[in-house]
Amino acid sequence: MSQALQASEPVIAVTGLTKIYGQGEAQVTALDGVGLEIPRGQMMALMGPSGSGKSTLMQVLGLLDRPTSGTYRLNGQDLSRVSSRAMAELRGRRIAFVFQSIHLLPRLSALHNVELPMIYARMPSAERRQRALDALGRVGVGALAHRMPNQLSGGQAQRVAIARAVAPGPDLLLADEPTGALDRASGREVLGVFQTLNESMGLTIVMVTHDPLVGRHAERIIEMEDGHFIRDYAVADGERLFAHQEVSA
Amino acid sequence: MNAFAIALDSIWRHRLRSVLTALGVVIGVFAVVTLTSLGASVRSYVQGQFAHVGATIVTVSPANPGSGAKKHPRFAGAPGGAPSTLTVADAQAIAAAPHAHIQRVSAVADIPLTLGTTPGASSGVAVSGVQAPFFKIEQIPFLHGRFDGSGVVLGYGAAHTLFPGVANAMGRTVYVGTHSFTVVGLLKKGSGIAALQSNREVFLPIGTGLKLAGLSTVAEIVVQANSTQNVNAAATAVTQVMTARHPSKNFTVTKESQLLNTVTSTVSTITTFLAGLAAISLLVGGIGIMNIMLVTVTERFREIGIRKAMGARDGDILVQFVAESVLLALLGGAVGVGLSAIASSIVAHLAGFPGGLTVSAVVLALVFSILVGGVFGVLPAMRAARLMPVDALRTE
Repeated sequence: MSQALQASEPVIAVTGLTKIYGQGEAQVTALDGVGLEIPRGQMMALMGPSGSGKSTLMQVLGLLDRPTSGTYRLNGQDLSRVSSRAMAELRGRRIAFVFQSIHLLPRLSALHNVELPMIYARMPSAERRQRALDALGRVGVGALAHRMPNQLSGGQAQRVAIARAVAPGPDLLLADEPTGALDRASGREVLGVFQTLNESMGLTIVMVTHDPLVGRHAERIIEMEDGHFIRDYAVADGERLFAHQEVSA
Repeated sequence: MNAFAIALDSIWRHRLRSVLTALGVVIGVFAVVTLTSLGASVRSYVQGQFAHVGATIVTVSPANPGSGAKKHPRFAGAPGGAPSTLTVADAQAIAAAPHAHIQRVSAVADIPLTLGTTPGASSGVAVSGVQAPFFKIEQIPFLHGRFDGSGVVLGYGAAHTLFPGVANAMGRTVYVGTHSFTVVGLLKKGSGIAALQSNREVFLPIGTGLKLAGLSTVAEIVVQANSTQNVNAAATAVTQVMTARHPSKNFTVTKESQLLNTVTSTVSTITTFLAGLAAISLLVGGIGIMNIMLVTVTERFREIGIRKAMGARDGDILVQFVAESVLLALLGGAVGVGLSAIASSIVAHLAGFPGGLTVSAVVLALVFSILVGGVFGVLPAMRAARLMPVDALRTE
């Protein structure tokens, strides 16, 4: 697929996406036929109360789980019928994650944690080392490369996790409550890193949050309830927050 | 960070648990390697002994008429075996036969009388009646004196049992039943298993012994061929002479080499049997590994989830956990081999034969422990590999 074609294609296009948990009486419909397109380079927030289906949507978009029905195209490639091996090969490389609970492996240094997805991608060691160091530098924790996770603050650890997500050069970054476990200052730093990555590298970002203030750092917000989209709107220019200006202000 | 580095890290992190888990394999491998190595040592020791002493000996022993059973004298001669009809005259006939390959002949009789240093006393030492060539046939040299037909000859061990602390028992008196005999010969300490029995015996001229005991038959007749190559010819000649004298064929002729085969194959059978039993404990060790690996997988759902979210394929996770159980089993196996090296050298030292591990036993045990780790690691590893990442991450 050519670069030009890719540019015109949305990163993600889903239709009729449904996810049902359980069977019979205990059946729960977490996603009820949602459709969504995310253009390349967009920073989007997915908002809604607990149980609204936003995390489920995130997991399905991130290939961490399979939908019950619906179509899913990543860069125009239909993933509805793809094997679990092919799903694994897209995870961490084409689609990257940042989790609320950070999820660094405690026994590996920051650098090794960042290298992990590239190890599974069978990238040559010199290249992945270079990419890992670059990514750590870009999110401002280059000096902490050889620290173990328990020697990092929450904000530092989440930045290492972001470096881990972006180092392989993914098409899409999914962040599930990325500031949820952090204090306000660290949370703002993380949002600043997201905005920088989005602007400087054109990285497409979807973050799940229930915090309206966090949501206002995105350029588009989708609000969910009971497995449906109830609102989908662009954040007005005057409304949007920029983390770096908040810090300096 | 490859699968084995991850596995080592995980094993090291749970040191106590790893040690206890591997203990099953340690014990299993220890038992298998020790038993097979000791078995091999005994076998080669026995072979060495026979090559040294017994290779030219042919033995005639009683058998049930016409049975033709290939029983071996030292096993078949026990009470309950065929009643003996062999006599000293048979031995003389074999010795007199014009056959160049027969070098020496001696009848051997068990004399069922007590032996002691006072009349009627029993020291527990066995008495045998033999003829003069016996000592040359069995290759037991004299320390003092000789077997001259007048008195008794003491085996090295028997002399020390009867006369403890006496350096030279020549000329002393012993009593067989109530009859006194002068010690006219002392034997050197014979080496090897063939001499174990004669070390502990007292030897009497066979005629005297039979008369005292009121016997007319002997337990066996030992014949020495003049060379290893002629053992078969000598055995054939002995059979001819004996068949002429005992048409009912109530005897068997055995070459010591046959006995060697029997002994070595018996040792092999026992070794295999015991090693098989020991292998069961290896199996139990494997089940222990599987048990702990299942626990490990459950404990590490989060790690598995993170790895899968980072693009690990099912195969990557499978390899990681199988590597861990294989490594655990292999470490256990290595420790087991080390322990059995120590144990078998101690046992060999105490029993007085060359020790050491057999390479094949070590290789087999290590291969087997890798297999055990692999086989019993696959089920837990499959569990880990098949987790959906979202399910693995959900458990906190």
